[in-house]
Amino acid sequence: MAPEIYNLAQSPVSSHAFSPDHSQVAVSLNTNDVQIFSKQGTEWVSTDTLSEHDKLITSIDWASSSNRIVTASQDRNAYVWQQTADADGKIVWKPTLVLLRINRAATHVRWSPKEDKFAVASGARAIAVCSFDPENNWWVSKLLKKPIRSTVLAIDWHPNNVLLAAGSADMKARVLSAYIKEVDERPSPTIWGSKLPFNTICGEFTSPSGGWVHTVGFSPSGDALAFASHDSSVSIVYPGSPVINIKLPTLPFVTLTWTTENSLVAAGHDCQPVVFSGAQDGWQVVGSLDDTSAAKSPVGSKSGYGGSPTVGRLNAGAFATFRDADSRGQSSIAGSGSGDTKLLTVHQNTITSVRPYEIHGGQVTKVSTSGVDGNLVIWNTDEVMTSGIASLTSRLGSSQIR
Amino acid sequence: MDVNFRKIDIDVYDEDILHETELYDSDPRDPSQVLSDARQKQVAVRTALARSDIVGALSSILDSPPYGPGVDEAKDLTLQTLLTILNTTKAAEIPGVVKALSQDEQDTLMKYLYKGMAMPGWGDISGSVLLGWHEKLTEIAGTGCIVRVMTDRRLV
Repeated sequence: MAPEIYNLAQSPVSSHAFSPDHSQVAVSLNTNDVQIFSKQGTEWVSTDTLSEHDKLITSIDWASSSNRIVTASQDRNAYVWQQTADADGKIVWKPTLVLLRINRAATHVRWSPKEDKFAVASGARAIAVCSFDPENNWWVSKLLKKPIRSTVLAIDWHPNNVLLAAGSADMKARVLSAYIKEVDERPSPTIWGSKLPFNTICGEFTSPSGGWVHTVGFSPSGDALAFASHDSSVSIVYPGSPVINIKLPTLPFVTLTWTTENSLVAAGHDCQPVVFSGAQDGWQVVGSLDDTSAAKSPVGSKSGYGGSPTVGRLNAGAFATFRDADSRGQSSIAGSGSGDTKLLTVHQNTITSVRPYEIHGGQVTKVSTSGVDGNLVIWNTDEVMTSGIASLTSRLGSSQIR
Repeated sequence: MDVNFRKIDIDVYDEDILHETELYDSDPRDPSQVLSDARQKQVAVRTALARSDIVGALSSILDSPPYGPGVDEAKDLTLQTLLTILNTTKAAEIPGVVKALSQDEQDTLMKYLYKGMAMPGWGDISGSVLLGWHEKLTEIAGTGCIVRVMTDRRLV
C-alpha cells in the first residue's frame, strides 16, 4: 500500500501529534497556535485552535491514555491542555500553566510512558521534569542541569518511566535519571544502572565528528539507545559495549523512531525516511520507505546535462544554469517549468518529525512524518525499498539536486 | 543612538560559559610529538610516491592528522606533503584512489581540500587540482562527507 499523503498547509509543520484514536492530529504550523485537524473523509479539516503561547510552538505531545496535550514554546512556557466543559456545557481545550523556571526557549516535550510526568528540553542547558501538584492545580518542575553544557534539542523516555535520554548541542547524548520521589515508585535495576536518584548520569556519548545531537530514542525494551547528529551520522549504543557509529553519505537526520528492537526509521534533511536495522554486533542502512526511483508526478525533461544520477551533477547542473543564463539569457526556472524544482521524494522539504503511528504486537507497523513542506505522511514500515545501499546512496544524492 | 553596547562580549559575564575546547577531545600527543610524526610521515609519503603507491601515501598522511591549537608547524607540513600527493596524481587515477580510502580518511581528505581552497596562493596550491579531487570525492563519499567537515571542530 502506498503511503498516505496529506497536505495540511502551505507553511512548515514544526511538530505533530495524533490523538489516541488517530481521528485528530495536533500540529504547530510554525506559529504561536496549535491547530487541531480532524479527519473528515479523506481530508484533514482544521477544527480547533489552541491559543495561549505568544511565541512559536516547538513541540507537541498527545498523551494516549489520559487524552491530554502538552505544548512547548519559544516563549519559555509549556501548557497542559485538557478537554473540559465550559459555562455553556461546550467541550473546550483548557490550558493549565506549567512552572518551568527556564530562561530560554523550550525546544522539545514528551509525556512519560505512564503519563504522570513530562519532560521539557530547553535552551537554558536544562531539562525540566514536570509533575502535577494537585494542591495548587498546576504542574511543577525539577530541573536536570548537570552536566548539560548547551541547548537540549531532543528527549525520549525509557519505558520504566524514570530514565530519560537527552540529545544536546554540546555534541553529546546522555541518559539521565528523572526520578521524582512524589510520583515514582523505586525503579527496578536496568541495564543503564541500578541506583537511580534524580540527576544520576547513566551514560554520556559523543557524536563521531562533532555534530550536535538532533534526536534520541530508546529501543522498545529500553536496552539500547539511538541518536542522530548533524555530522550525518546515526549512533546506536548498547551499554557496556562500544558505540556503533554509522556515517552516512547523505545530509543529516533530525528525527528518528524505533520500529522494533532491531530496526529504526530516521528522517531529516534528505526528505525521506530511511530504515536501519541491526543488532549488538552491527547496524546498517536497509533502504528507504520512499520509492524515489520514479517521479511521483511527471517531471519536465531536463535540457542538456542529463548525465549520471550522482552528486557530480550538482556541479554540472549549476554550471548549465549559469551557462544558459549567460549565453542565451535563459533562466532554467522559466525554461524548463516547475518540474525542475520537484523532488523525487514524497516530502518536498526537510522532515521535522517521525513518530510511531500504529503498533501491532510490539512492532511499529506504521509511522507518521511531518515536514517543512506542510505535508503529513503515513508510511508502512514493512515496505522498505531495498536495492542495495549503493543505489540508495546515489538515489539520495540525485534527490537532492533536482 | 549609542550602539557601543552591542560590542560588549556578554559571554565574559557568564560564569558557566561553554569553551571551544570542551566540544572536542584534544589530541593526546605532545605538540613536539605531533611535529616529529608529521616529519616521519613526510618521509613515508616520499618513499610511497617513489613506488607510485598513491593510496599508501594518502593513507599514511591522512592517519591521525594534527589538529587543535599549538601545532601550526605540523599542520603546514602535513598540508604541504598532502599537496605534493594531490598535485602528482593523474586525474584519471583519482576515483580509484578515493575509493580505496577508508571513510575516516575520506573525511580527513575533504577537510584538507577545504583548507587548501581557503588559502589560495599558499605553497603549491592549485585551485583546479583541488576542485578536481573535490568533485570525485563528493561523488564517492556524498554530501555527508562535506557536512562532517563543516561540523567537526578538530580543525586540521
